[in-house]
Amino acid sequence: MAPKPHIEVENLEVSFGAVPAVRGVSFTVTHGEQLTLLGPSGCGKTTTLRAIAGLEKPVAGEIRIDGAPIYSAARNINVPAEKRGLSMVFQSYAIWPHMSVFDNVAYGLRVRREEAAAIRNKVIQALALVQMQAFADRRASQLSGGQQQRVALARAFVFQPSVLLFDEPLSNLDAKLRADMRIELRDLQHRLGITSIYVTHDLEEALAMSDHIVVMRDGLVEQTGTPDDIYRLPRSAFVADFIGSANLVHGRNRRDLATHGLLALETPGGQVIYGNAYGRSAGDELTVSVRTVHLQISPQRPAGERNVWPARVEKTVFQGDFTQVHILWGDQRLIARCAALDPLPAGQEVFISVDPKRVVLLGA
Amino acid sequence: MSAAASSTESVSAQKIAGYGVATVAAVLVLYPVFYLLQAALDVGDPQTRPPTAYGLDNFEALLNYPQIMLNTLSVSFAATLMALVIGFIMAWILTRTNVPGRLVFEQLMAVPYYLTPLLGALAWSMLGSPESGFLNQFWRALGGSGHVIDINTPYGIAWVMALFEGSVAFVMIGAVMKSMDPALEEASQVIGASRLRTMLRVTLPLVIPGVLGAAIFVFAEMLGSFAVALVLGTPNRYYVITTAIYQLIQQYPPRIQVAAAMGTSLFAVMFVMLFIYRRIVTAGSYVTITGKAFRPRVADVGRLRHLLFCVCVLYLVVSVVLPIATLLYASVQKIAVAFPAADNFTLDNFRAAMSMNAAGSALTNSLILAFATATIGIALMGLLAWLIYRSRLPGAGLIEYVVMFPQAVPRLVFAFGMMWAWLAFPIPIYGTLWLLLIAYLTVFLPLGVRTIAGVMLQVDKSLDECAQMCGASWMFRMRTISIPLLVPGLVAAWLLLFIASVRELGASILLMGPHSKVITPSIVESWFGTASELTATLALIQTFVVAAAVAVLVVVTRRVSTHVVN
Amino acid sequence: MAHNKHGHITRRALLKAGVALPLVGIAAPNVLSQPLSKSPSTVLDFQTNADVAKAEQEGQLVFYCHENEAGTAGIMQGFNKDFPKIKTSYVRAQTGALYSKILAERQAGRFDVDVLQLSDLAPAFDFQKKGGYEHYESPESGAYKQDNLSTPKGYFFWTGVDPAGIAYNAEKVTGSDAPKGWKDILDPRWKGKISCKISASGLQFVQWYMLRKLYGDGFWQEFAKLQPHAFDSRVQLFDRLSKGDDTITAIGEYPAYILFKSRGAKVEFVAPADGLVATPLVVGAVNKAPHPEVAKLFVDWAMSKRGQAWYQTNPNLYYASVRTDAPPMPTGVSLTQFKLLYPQDWDDYSKQSATFLKEWNGMLGL
Repeated sequence: MAPKPHIEVENLEVSFGAVPAVRGVSFTVTHGEQLTLLGPSGCGKTTTLRAIAGLEKPVAGEIRIDGAPIYSAARNINVPAEKRGLSMVFQSYAIWPHMSVFDNVAYGLRVRREEAAAIRNKVIQALALVQMQAFADRRASQLSGGQQQRVALARAFVFQPSVLLFDEPLSNLDAKLRADMRIELRDLQHRLGITSIYVTHDLEEALAMSDHIVVMRDGLVEQTGTPDDIYRLPRSAFVADFIGSANLVHGRNRRDLATHGLLALETPGGQVIYGNAYGRSAGDELTVSVRTVHLQISPQRPAGERNVWPARVEKTVFQGDFTQVHILWGDQRLIARCAALDPLPAGQEVFISVDPKRVVLLGA
Repeated sequence: MSAAASSTESVSAQKIAGYGVATVAAVLVLYPVFYLLQAALDVGDPQTRPPTAYGLDNFEALLNYPQIMLNTLSVSFAATLMALVIGFIMAWILTRTNVPGRLVFEQLMAVPYYLTPLLGALAWSMLGSPESGFLNQFWRALGGSGHVIDINTPYGIAWVMALFEGSVAFVMIGAVMKSMDPALEEASQVIGASRLRTMLRVTLPLVIPGVLGAAIFVFAEMLGSFAVALVLGTPNRYYVITTAIYQLIQQYPPRIQVAAAMGTSLFAVMFVMLFIYRRIVTAGSYVTITGKAFRPRVADVGRLRHLLFCVCVLYLVVSVVLPIATLLYASVQKIAVAFPAADNFTLDNFRAAMSMNAAGSALTNSLILAFATATIGIALMGLLAWLIYRSRLPGAGLIEYVVMFPQAVPRLVFAFGMMWAWLAFPIPIYGTLWLLLIAYLTVFLPLGVRTIAGVMLQVDKSLDECAQMCGASWMFRMRTISIPLLVPGLVAAWLLLFIASVRELGASILLMGPHSKVITPSIVESWFGTASELTATLALIQTFVVAAAVAVLVVVTRRVSTHVVN
Repeated sequence: MAHNKHGHITRRALLKAGVALPLVGIAAPNVLSQPLSKSPSTVLDFQTNADVAKAEQEGQLVFYCHENEAGTAGIMQGFNKDFPKIKTSYVRAQTGALYSKILAERQAGRFDVDVLQLSDLAPAFDFQKKGGYEHYESPESGAYKQDNLSTPKGYFFWTGVDPAGIAYNAEKVTGSDAPKGWKDILDPRWKGKISCKISASGLQFVQWYMLRKLYGDGFWQEFAKLQPHAFDSRVQLFDRLSKGDDTITAIGEYPAYILFKSRGAKVEFVAPADGLVATPLVVGAVNKAPHPEVAKLFVDWAMSKRGQAWYQTNPNLYYASVRTDAPPMPTGVSLTQFKLLYPQDWDDYSKQSATFLKEWNGMLGL
């Protein structure tokens, strides 16, 4: 039995004047999970988040929390942002410079008219959770970026909201800090058990932190699923290439060569590649995706009968943790990513192979 | 976007405040304009109201005064040119060179504006009248004959206008120069072009669109200028549209309809000019003006610094020191001459001045009125600025248009409409300070809203949105977030409104009553009906009292604004 | 001098008040026209029918006057000195502007004025016809000839006369160049250097009317060729004259001449043989005044010897009094020594107003 959804977004449409930013987005979020909206800039993920927050007014669709609509075009409902009971962490932190750290965090509690003693306790606790309790009496404008981020976080959850919305909270931090904060955020979210909707364009962040990911492009949902699902089984070329890097191979469906539950694709150059349909319908023309990290290179012909071909190295690009190898395969160029190799000279003849399980059929 | 309130959305405080203040603004602005147009189209008996017949005869009558139209255009054009030259030179010196005391000079550039064009005209009248002007007396004492300067000519009028009303040209051109990306010039120099060549081929063309915009704006302002032409032009029968309107209204019987037609045509021209100005500003040909704040490249001009310093000092002498010294000199004489005999000195003028209406009640009235205007003003204009630039309420664009509308109407013309409109109003506010308050709030709408909006837009809206997400209602957010963050800006706007209110002439001169005299128009009245020495005395007393009041306020408010944000 | 037919009653009232007045023939209140039949009371040294206590309670005087700032303030100073409990406030504008202002206000239903002083009889007649003046016969009216009072009595009176001749800057005009008669102001050498008053000035209207009558319609056409500079007040005219900004003024008012001369200005006055033009300065209480008792009190004060003395001796006023028992002006000159040019037919004069305004404004470029 699927757990009852906490947040439901149904056919949401948001426009800015005549320009549509979100063109019909639907997804659900269950209690306690983190759902990430992932996509390139301009895909509508932030707009969707702000619409859920109540900071943008949609033109169509419905948003429900625990079954009760907070926005419904059909029923003419639009609960103002301050009454939705959600909480949000902003990309720019939005720390109020004229207040101390304590007052910043205490704001939500003061709005709810809690008692001074209770406020004090909760604020100290919240600051402790983000390791900022020593800064309680500092002027908020005197903090560094990372410190402001933590305060913004403490402020967001101190009044125990049921939902936390994150709008690219880490994008203004440097890479190292970002990596650390990612883990901290994840731990915090688990500890508090708050349902979160997270917006980012950073793939690593999304994969590391999310329970579910919604990949968006151009105002529409491309694919929804767990990080693993999306990585292993991208549904479209866009998702395949956005989530990690992938090679796309087009060709004719060779049903006569299909075997062992695998399908066979013949490229215009004549090579045959075996792959898995994973439940998707296979037409006459097929496109499959092969992740660059799954393409193996070896100087000698490896064992195995399927998916082994001779190829030629065009160039290698050293990238530190891995090396990117550009390969000429028939009349198509492929890219393989390998852990640091001994350098392969350009022009070298090699063999490339890939496990058919890793060759994924893409949907239409 | 649907504007219908849903069943779960209450009629929020936002909407009430927003639409309420918008209605107030619309009434304030459009009510007088309607009456102005009605009077201009009234061809019936001038004594009966409402008009019995409508027609265009009054506009036809304007054809009898081609000289006045010509005078207005030529003097405004000359003044604009002079203001641009002065503004450009001073902007260049103060933003692009390393002349010593740059920052101080920049602040001081505003002083002529605060002294008011009226004071400048009075002082320069004493300096430059062909017979009695001090400069001419010096000239003759040095052996010259006749006069070296005649301030009562169109050029003289344009000169004083440029000096005292032209500082806006400096501000605008300075802003353009400051916002130029220095990389553009550096690229030219890296290629090997000389400084002069860079200035002519790179800087100048980039700055020209901004200068053009400033030119149009300044020209529109000069068209509505009143004080200088009144003091320097009227004695020589040189009229411009504003002074002609004033004379026509003061005549017996007053020729309201012709005056209204003149006012309307002036208003139409200004409107078109400002329309063109806005087009240029928002056209996007401004590739140099980005949102980023650049540090402008300050050139080291070496020995030239000292010369440029002298130029700056000269400007201040001519526009501030000389006028005040002149008035002071005149105020202590029985009959003001350049080389007085020992028995010509007296303090009688100060004694007499203290007993006159103008010194006592006018000063008090002005200060009270300025206080009220500034205080009510920032509340009204703050709400309007929020309504136009921050709220999502529909119709905000239209409100912006209404609020900026008074910019296109010369103050005197606007006051004419107000006088005509409120005279017949059932509530007896005509002739009281209340009417002046309403007039000030109306004509200062563009100034106040623009200033506060500038401050408001600097505050990131995510600060307000975050408070929303914490559950705070609109009123709570206003109280705890928006207003505290805006306080320094609001304080600056308050001071601006205070000063603008105290120096106001064009609107006040038509709306003053026996119990509502205010400073600047009473100096004008004094000039009409008193010896010039006494007028000089009054002008000085009033200037110093106001300067003292402003100094006190600046000190007080500085403490307030530093407490709030670090 | 009008002898009072009711002198009997008056003398008894005077004796009762215990004030010994050297004059006889103070006009007693016309019992038939007074709404309240009360006898005049004496306050300070003059008679009044106003309720002084009530006036002091009303506490304020709103005075609309044509005089320049210093002059108007001067009049107010005089009244306030005698009645310190009554605060004074004033509006000053040249007669034409002042009159149109008060008319516009009254038409809009605003009645804020207590007393009106004008420098022209034409608007005074008009105002009387329109019922703008309050009908109040002052007990002081007896000291005035009927010519110097409204017809019928009780609307306004002549608080003084403002005579004007020619004045010039003595440093710039010497010897034979100096003008002697009115025709001399038309000399082309004055072009661009001669001043006059604006069309709103009552005195200017009188001068236009009288000199036109004397010298024909062409007189002012010639004058227009000199491109005169026009100003609102005599102070401005003499200010410029004394500094040399103008060389000569076509309408040099005697009071201003006295004032500036006393300050050391190098100006000279010419009284042409044909006479000085003069306009009456008329004061009247206004109908529906906000402070009616104060208005009446002021009229009595202004008419009285006391008030007239103030008008005559204040340096910003120097009016020539028409009170039958008035002393000479401070310079020792008495009004009767001047030949004065007044319109004889005030009706004809009033009718010419529109012509004057059109011609004069046209001359000045408006």
